[in-house]
Amino acid sequence: MKLTLSRRAILAAALSALVGASPMTGLALDAPVIAAASDLQFAVAKVAQAFQAETGHEIRLSFGSTGNFARQIREGAPFQALMAADEKFIANLHADGFTADEGDLYAVGRIVIMVPHGSNLRPDSTLDNLAEMLAAGQITRFAIANPDHAPYGMRARESLIFRGIWDDLQRVMVLGENVSQAAQFALSGSAEGGIIAYSLALAPEVAPRGTFALIPAEWHQPLRQRMALLKDAGPVAKAFYAYMKEPAAREIMERYGFALPEGE
Amino acid sequence: MDWTALWLSMRLAGWTVAILLPVAVFAGRFLAYRNFGGKVLVEALVMLPLVLPPTVFGFYLLVAFGANSSIGQFWSATFGHQLVFSFEGLVVASVIFNLPFAIQPAQRGFESVPVDVREAAFCCGMSPLRSLWRVELPLAWPGLMTAMVLTFAHTLGEFGIVLMVGGSIPGETKTIAIAIYDRVQGFDDQAAATMSTVLVAISLFTIAVTYWLSARVGRRLS
Amino acid sequence: MALEVMVKAATPIPLDLAFRVEPGELLALVGHSGSGKTTLLRTIAGLWRPETARVQVGGTTWLDTGAGIAVPPHRRRVGMVFQSYALFPHMTAAQNVASAIDHLPQSERWPEAERLLDLINLHDLGGRKPQQLSGGQQQRVAVARALARRPVALLLDEPFSAVDRATREKLYAEIVALRAHLSMPVVLVTHDVNEAQLLADRMVVIEAGTMVAEGPTGTVMSDPRALRAMGIREAAAMVPATIDRHDSDGMTRLTTSAGPLWLPNVDGAPGTRVRVRIMAHEVLLSRARPEGLSAQNILPVHVIDLQSSDGLAVMVRLGFGEDTILARITRRAAQSLALQPGDQIHAIFKSMSVARDHITAGGATTPATR
Repeated sequence: MKLTLSRRAILAAALSALVGASPMTGLALDAPVIAAASDLQFAVAKVAQAFQAETGHEIRLSFGSTGNFARQIREGAPFQALMAADEKFIANLHADGFTADEGDLYAVGRIVIMVPHGSNLRPDSTLDNLAEMLAAGQITRFAIANPDHAPYGMRARESLIFRGIWDDLQRVMVLGENVSQAAQFALSGSAEGGIIAYSLALAPEVAPRGTFALIPAEWHQPLRQRMALLKDAGPVAKAFYAYMKEPAAREIMERYGFALPEGE
Repeated sequence: MDWTALWLSMRLAGWTVAILLPVAVFAGRFLAYRNFGGKVLVEALVMLPLVLPPTVFGFYLLVAFGANSSIGQFWSATFGHQLVFSFEGLVVASVIFNLPFAIQPAQRGFESVPVDVREAAFCCGMSPLRSLWRVELPLAWPGLMTAMVLTFAHTLGEFGIVLMVGGSIPGETKTIAIAIYDRVQGFDDQAAATMSTVLVAISLFTIAVTYWLSARVGRRLS
Repeated sequence: MALEVMVKAATPIPLDLAFRVEPGELLALVGHSGSGKTTLLRTIAGLWRPETARVQVGGTTWLDTGAGIAVPPHRRRVGMVFQSYALFPHMTAAQNVASAIDHLPQSERWPEAERLLDLINLHDLGGRKPQQLSGGQQQRVAVARALARRPVALLLDEPFSAVDRATREKLYAEIVALRAHLSMPVVLVTHDVNEAQLLADRMVVIEAGTMVAEGPTGTVMSDPRALRAMGIREAAAMVPATIDRHDSDGMTRLTTSAGPLWLPNVDGAPGTRVRVRIMAHEVLLSRARPEGLSAQNILPVHVIDLQSSDGLAVMVRLGFGEDTILARITRRAAQSLALQPGDQIHAIFKSMSVARDHITAGGATTPATR
């Protein structure tokens, strides 16, 4: 059987793919993987950059909904730390023996209503305009994170219930997998807006796309964001965990709208 | 452009093709040349991953290989880490859900070898293995190539199953398809667009190669 | 090393027969499509296993369902020429032939392949792929490939059905010439009775899976039961003849043991020995030697016997010199001539009644008629 040029080429590509070593990327594959809630997408990425600049160590970040991560951790996902958007998830994991300890409160988050430019909806802290337009039937789509497993979605629901428009919003509600996807839906232009994380609204990648208003913190349970090292966490993960409590990291977090706990 | 994710996807596709190539040869040949009771059922089972919703498939894979399963526990006892959320877990899932892409075209390729040519090979003194090497493979190889090319391209694009079974661990299970999803959520449209273009280019190349190969088989048989 | 075959099966078609082929002998399996003859050939080759069967060559058992022996086809030294030739399309003619030469070391394979291609007169075409060869050339490559294995039995499955008449004539001549080199039993499956009579030493006539007649060709060709199965118009006799001279008007004079024969345009140099097939329904009989007839062939014969094949006609066997021919005439005609065994009469037939493909080269290796 002759090996024509094309067969040889494909064979070669396949074989080289097997070798596995990744020459083109700078990613150190032994860097620990840390799971972080989606609202931290920009803030913690910045912290990680600073961490690497200062210590030379790399970490790998995986963003998603806190609830999803909690489930994956129970199924053996190889994360070395979890930065949750709600401390209840950390408490449950700790009770079931998945975390090294009770963890630390690292930030308190806020939710905002954000609308893309050109939307008829006006963002106001009282959600009055939203209620009006909803009553007038002028809301076609409104995005929040999935309240089943995303803390920011849970808080959005609580505030909408508090405001009394949760039931009416059901028909036009769009649920994001996590609060980042909710933001993406909210600002895509296909929805009038949505309720997303304050930290996302402040991010340079997001801010230019619309306008927002903070939702009163009394309208919902606080977003007490807790982080914990998981069992088998290595030295680099521990170092990053400690770094999160340092002034440099805290300063970045503040910039992204997080309220910081006082030396807990 | 997430090169790590692209490389990971290529490696995943490469391993899948490497494992499925001998499977395609032997299973495709077996189904092409043997008739037996229940053959229709076997063929349907091979095709099952094609029609099953990826999430259903992913769910069953988690049940079968997850931390609470006997396979999963055996794996973590032997290798020290879970099968799910690992690259090896993705390879296992990928091999299974690519079975129809690998076996079916291979089977067609072997079926395109005229029965009397195979019989002539036997009458020329060639054992089934020698006949495979000297007569069947040279004639059936376009079908095999189609199988491998389709498997490769399909693996590059697979999303739902990879996400459920692999999570999205950079460098480990975050494939390029997931990276695109991730970049969209990260409001990084440019990166998403770049990576999407790369995937489209690879897919188009795949289709072109497949058509060219089919034309070759058609010419040879006419 | 004779080939012995016994087959009994119910599916896919009912089969029940047994026969034997001696080394160097060519046996024709004759029957209509669906009669089971190809299944029989495939059984000998090992491509099919019936419920009950035994295939033995010399002392070697290839198949014995009773004893649980079934040698796979690639381990039987059998040479098979398929109806469709089944040449390997991705190999050249020479490579096709060489692929069957597994019994020689690598270095000797190529010369052997060349030798075989020479044998079938395809010397210069060895480098061509099957698609680039004509039907007749492909058929010859298939024969060479079958012979390359030095088989102990050669099987031909309707090998001439796919070629046109002119090519077929040439191929018959080649097969006859090849027989001189063949020392193994040869089985030819065909539905063409002319082909069988021209090429075979013995015949087996199959109808619906059972043997209707079996024996030397000449005997079978005058057997009423066989003729009923093959079609009564196939009744004919083979007469050996020698080409004497070619006249300028296109007629050829041949000598037979009963006298001269005139036939149009017979190929071959003077002195060439041929066999001529004379169809029974083309033969007229006459008590007196007729005058003024257009027929060029009027030869003295004597009546051996008469058989009623059906209500209408009578088959007359006639002594033709040292040979035998057949004449099929109506019962009325036979009665009006009052034919009796022993009568000395004349046989008449037109030169035109002998088709070109009813003449084949060679004296038979075994007597073709008796």
